[in-house]
Amino acid sequence: MNEQSSNAPSRRGFLIGMAGAAAGAATTAAVTAGLGAAAPAAAAAHAAGTAARYEFHGAHQAGVLAPVRRSTSLLALDVTAQGAAGLTELLQTITDTARFLTTGGAPRELGITAPPSDSGVLGPEVTAGGLTVTLAVGASLFDGRFGLASVKPSKLRPMEDFPNDALDRAICDGDLLLQFEADDNDVVIHGVREVLRATRAGMQLRWRRDGFSSPPRPSGTPRNLMGFKDGTANIDRTDAKLMDQLVWAHGGQAEPAWVEGGSYLAVRVIRMLVEFWDRVGIEEQQQMFGRYKGSGAPLTGSSEFEDPHYERDPNGDSIPLSAHIRVANPRTPGTENQRMLRRAFNYDGGIDANGNLDQGLIFTAFNQDIERQFVTVQKRLIDEPLVDYISPVGGGYYFALPGARDASDWLGKGMFA
Amino acid sequence: MSQRSQFALFWAVVALVVAVGVAATVLSPAHGGAAQPQAASTASASAPHSYELTANRSTCGVGWGDGANAAVPGGAQSFTIANGNDAPMDIQLQEQGSKKVFLELDGVGAGAKTTAQVVLGKGRYRFACYPEDSQPAIGATVRVGAAPHGAVLSAGTAPLTRNQLNLVAIAYGKWVDGRLPTLKKQVAQLDADAEEGDLARAKADWLTAHLSYETLGAAYDAFGDHDAEINGMPASGTTALSDRGLTGFHKIEALLWSGAPAAAVAAQTRRLGAAVDSLIADPGTAQIDPLVIGLRSHEIVENAIQFELTGATDAGSHTNLATIDANLSSATIALGFLKSDLATRYPALPDAEAALASTQKLVESYHRPDGSWAPLLSLTRAQRERLNAALGGTVELLAPVAEIAEPRFTPDE
Repeated sequence: MNEQSSNAPSRRGFLIGMAGAAAGAATTAAVTAGLGAAAPAAAAAHAAGTAARYEFHGAHQAGVLAPVRRSTSLLALDVTAQGAAGLTELLQTITDTARFLTTGGAPRELGITAPPSDSGVLGPEVTAGGLTVTLAVGASLFDGRFGLASVKPSKLRPMEDFPNDALDRAICDGDLLLQFEADDNDVVIHGVREVLRATRAGMQLRWRRDGFSSPPRPSGTPRNLMGFKDGTANIDRTDAKLMDQLVWAHGGQAEPAWVEGGSYLAVRVIRMLVEFWDRVGIEEQQQMFGRYKGSGAPLTGSSEFEDPHYERDPNGDSIPLSAHIRVANPRTPGTENQRMLRRAFNYDGGIDANGNLDQGLIFTAFNQDIERQFVTVQKRLIDEPLVDYISPVGGGYYFALPGARDASDWLGKGMFA
Repeated sequence: MSQRSQFALFWAVVALVVAVGVAATVLSPAHGGAAQPQAASTASASAPHSYELTANRSTCGVGWGDGANAAVPGGAQSFTIANGNDAPMDIQLQEQGSKKVFLELDGVGAGAKTTAQVVLGKGRYRFACYPEDSQPAIGATVRVGAAPHGAVLSAGTAPLTRNQLNLVAIAYGKWVDGRLPTLKKQVAQLDADAEEGDLARAKADWLTAHLSYETLGAAYDAFGDHDAEINGMPASGTTALSDRGLTGFHKIEALLWSGAPAAAVAAQTRRLGAAVDSLIADPGTAQIDPLVIGLRSHEIVENAIQFELTGATDAGSHTNLATIDANLSSATIALGFLKSDLATRYPALPDAEAALASTQKLVESYHRPDGSWAPLLSLTRAQRERLNAALGGTVELLAPVAEIAEPRFTPDE
């Protein structure tokens, strides 16, 4: 729930694009230019009812900069394949399966000598369905098992316990993190099923969390389960130059060459104590966030995407100095390079022994440098007023691999170069 | 074969036929060579060749090609087949030389039309129709040309007939029969321990007898009501200890490991002895349905994953890993009876055998030097993940065996 600056409502732009409106087309073009990859295949196809397709191949994995879609599943996995050869085969299988799933088409025909190659959850022909499959690696992958210790991304490590955390290590970390994200739940679930089936002996689920992104209510950025718009001030993912400064890792100096085009991924599963929260007055809620609950506008302004102009409120009379958005992103020259690309999802996971709902946020953020960005901001947020109503319980630090360039490339190949 | 298995088999065939159809319809030669299929949006050059076929008591597949010496282009073929018969029929597409079956439509309804697709390479093929109530009708041989470059051909398989599988089933049944006296002796020993009040020895002998039984591969109710009596699970909402109707190994396990008096244990071991006697006396025990033989190795491991790897059957002895070990032996034995038939039909058979062996080795690494077995719950997360992965990988490799070893008609029948 960190706040970043930028006024590009990316998701809204994408939705316009889907409708084929001129403004949307412009957004799509910008995305294409900026990413060279992660753009919906054809706006015309959407009008005909065909779901979006994100190009699988590219310098970066498509799921990093693609707009946030409705449904996601995060899978943390441990590798059970043996040795470098086993891991290589596993990564190739994940790549091949993800390539097919995100492209769509007719599943492989095995003939009458085997069960069907596909679960059929999406019908006879697999729709791309706006699916992206993003593969990231955790610090534990670089232990002695696969001979990769010397090529670990320099900032990759197990996620620490921050002072306000209540981490359950059973739902933290993992050798790999796979994020499935699509327009619909069935596309996500299908993808999860197919990838796990293809890799049954090579990796095992460690923890899993499914999430969703809400539609705009009534407009603008989707809301979290505290009722606040979440991600209003996110950085502009269509700004290639900014992405190069804040999202993409670069090889050289402390980093191994292969990280070029990848990105550090912070995942935080943050439980929201929603019953408690709903018993808090609106003024106090808004002061904690620094925004109006209804419109999402900063408490210094009147519309969602306005700059909060902290310089006009130096003592925090409108937006308290401890407010979440102010601490997370003070919008000062020294903190600009601490911004990160956030992609937040809500989760709804069951019930507690005390009868309370297990709901919250799956916070994900891509960083060029996880220390400079996520960790720095998170440390600044220690003991913010909001901590009484949230409880980070799981997650981890990962490194999203560079993209697979073409049909012969595979995710993670660079680690073995 | 259990009802479940019969239904599973039926739906597997239905699903396969559907999948064949879909894949072939849209397959693109441009993408076909890739390790994984790709989208078929550009499959203009490979649009399937469509044929309207008829079949009745005397003809089969009329309409594919043009009469005698018919020749059609290779690649994706899309068939609409009308059963003009007044009874259901099975329809196959066979390659003449290899006698492999490439398409199989079971029980096409009287008067019904069905569609199917298949991707064929160069060769001579023909349809064969097997009406339920009369002699088969064999269609004309059709010469099929080479498939377009890069097309992924549908896999065919040389049929295993009911007679061939029956021989396997008889051999397997004999093996099961041969194991029963050992089981009887071990259960008698368990009973004697309980009668004497030596419950420590009874525990050891319980495990020996239970593992013997688990090696027989009673997966999916192969032994019907006998299995419920010998190795049943407690009813929903009860435990092996509390379920008053439960008998057999798990009831005895619950009594032994909860400190029940010897008399209570002995009452159950006596019943177990009687249940094993009636299993042995039942002439059906060694008569394995040939339909089941191909399913057995797969289903044994499925059951091990569902009931043992979860610890669901544990009534106190914490010996699930021992049971899994016995189940893997059982699956290996069942697969062994099919080995010569599968060798030419299942390219991944060596992988399946290797997976069974390495998984069993991993499981047996939890058999301690003192003879006891590590409880499932004592495994570390990494150990548990490796175990789950090994069993999961094995069962994926066993699944095709059931499809390949489904009884099929041959062109000669």
